[in-house]
Amino acid sequence: MLLNLARTLARSAANGPGERFVVWVQGCPLACPGCWNPDTWAFGRRELHSVQDLAAIILATPGLEGVTFTGGEPFAQARALAALAAPVRAAGLSVFVFTGYDLSELTLPAHRALLELADVVVAGRYRQAERTLDLPWRGSGNQRVHFLSNRYGPEQLAGLPEVEFHLSTDGSLAVTGFPTAALLGRTTAG
Amino acid sequence: MSAYMTLLTPMTDQACLLDALADLGFGAALVEVHATPVRLEGYGGDQRTQTAHIVIRRHNVGVASNDVGFLATATGYQALVSDFDHPKLGSGWLAQLNQRYSAHWSAKQERLAAEERRRQEQERQRLVEAQRQAVHDRAKAMGYRVQETREGETVRLLLVKRTY
Repeated sequence: MLLNLARTLARSAANGPGERFVVWVQGCPLACPGCWNPDTWAFGRRELHSVQDLAAIILATPGLEGVTFTGGEPFAQARALAALAAPVRAAGLSVFVFTGYDLSELTLPAHRALLELADVVVAGRYRQAERTLDLPWRGSGNQRVHFLSNRYGPEQLAGLPEVEFHLSTDGSLAVTGFPTAALLGRTTAG
Repeated sequence: MSAYMTLLTPMTDQACLLDALADLGFGAALVEVHATPVRLEGYGGDQRTQTAHIVIRRHNVGVASNDVGFLATATGYQALVSDFDHPKLGSGWLAQLNQRYSAHWSAKQERLAAEERRRQEQERQRLVEAQRQAVHDRAKAMGYRVQETREGETVRLLLVKRTY
């Protein structure tokens, strides 16, 4: 089984609780105006990874708390992500999913399979008019954090890194998480 | 009057040529270096038609010798050695000179390459440090606390601001 991905990041602390392996899937049917990752909307082939290989990479990465699925729209590849989440959960890692759908929209069997393996789901369209800087893990105020297992609770939302910069040896900066436009603009402009 | 034997040698670097001459016994005290070429002189003090930028005067070459010169040209220094001095400073000597020149030239290229690598590495380190400092400064100015860790050679900067 294959996943079409935009990119991965082997270690991040700004995409859910703890140190996480982040998977950005390629393809999103929602195309929310103002989305941070419009390059992940198209459903064309980008980086194909076998579920088995990616699971092996994740499980070989030391010190992880869990994996985070984002994108793109993870539930557009729910069946393959559920197949990836299963060995990850079995190994004791947690599963965190960002989706543009509300939970009530996720009714297909593949959707349910992924939801059953998820510890936390942040759900809802990104609405530019409701853009917020005050809610952890959310870009707009309408989005909801659902704790689907007993592993985490609202107390995990406090004091987490919001933004993460990766400074490479050539001086280039990569950013992930939830930066304010001002921070992003000012920091990368320098 | 002895005829000059002229040889073209692919020697383009003055410093390397002077070092090579020094290796063969013609150190700085015995060699003239001119910004513009000067006339060579014969054993009797006569002015020769040849000119050169680097000159070993005849009394430093040998009894009854003529001046030896090196003229800078677009294709490198041209050696000017008279027929009379050929037995002593002929093709064998020029070959030795060329070997010494090549050794100095190679050493210089390696030195320059090492300096360039060092310069590029310093520039890379300066850029990374400037970027790192910029993230720290601007994040702090906006009220973020910065946690810095390293992932291999990549620096990771985590920005934490609010407590929910």
